[in-house]
Amino acid sequence: MKTKITLNLLFLGLFTLSAAASDTEKSTYYSPAQMSEEVKAVVQNKCFGCHNTDSKNDKAKEDLDFKTFDTLTNLKKVSAYKKIGDVLNENEMPPKKFLDHYPDKKLTDAEKKLLMDWAKAEAEKLVKGM
Amino acid sequence: MRKILRIVFIILIVGFVVLQFFQPEKNQGQITDNDILRQHQVPENIAVILKESCFDCHSNNTRYPFYDRVAPVSWMVDDHIQDGKHELNFSEWGEMDIFDKITTLDEIARETKRKAMPLKSYKLMHPKARLSDEQIAAIEKWTTELGEELLKNSISE
Repeated sequence: MKTKITLNLLFLGLFTLSAAASDTEKSTYYSPAQMSEEVKAVVQNKCFGCHNTDSKNDKAKEDLDFKTFDTLTNLKKVSAYKKIGDVLNENEMPPKKFLDHYPDKKLTDAEKKLLMDWAKAEAEKLVKGM
Repeated sequence: MRKILRIVFIILIVGFVVLQFFQPEKNQGQITDNDILRQHQVPENIAVILKESCFDCHSNNTRYPFYDRVAPVSWMVDDHIQDGKHELNFSEWGEMDIFDKITTLDEIARETKRKAMPLKSYKLMHPKARLSDEQIAAIEKWTTELGEELLKNSISE
């Protein structure tokens, strides 16, 4: 009886821990600031594949890692948002070579504008201390 | 055969001499209040690095050794300078907005850390422009401090 209770408690503990871990993962998954659902969907579908900690593309994750974005200082965040806006404006992302293989990952004009507006707004908030 | 060689040689020499009359405009403008060294209190060790390793291509004032004044090298050098100034011009620092300044400071730290800057070709001709690990660390510290200061000032405005 005592063993059964101990085992139950152990399972309960493990379940709680795993749920907490999964919650933590979820919360850092789309970490950048207050991303709207719309922005989140585009980032997840078109950017996250390369720009995350587990990506095989070292340069991409070194340049921008959405998974660890929240750990950046505000200074680094301003710079990251600015660069996101710049590369989108120059049509540098997603890269042409990548799009040759995955044409469905191309950003539509509306998606590009959505991300650029979001990045600009977030950078402005940080610079104004909002 | 020797006569042809002599004629070719003379043509080359004349061509080279004529080429010297067509030179790009020198990148030697006035230093204004927009210059980064006038905009901020830049620590002496950083100012030395900027002057020695960056300003030749990233400012309105280039120091020209004699070989940089000889065409066609002068045209190649001018091309580098125009590219460099297009990317970043420390002489026009004051005209940049805070977003550009913060991003540029971050890029300066990244590029020097990756040893992508100064360019290899530039370091080959200007050995003094090479950055030691201590200098690279000092640049990273300075860019962060200046960026934080700009951000703090912007928030309090």
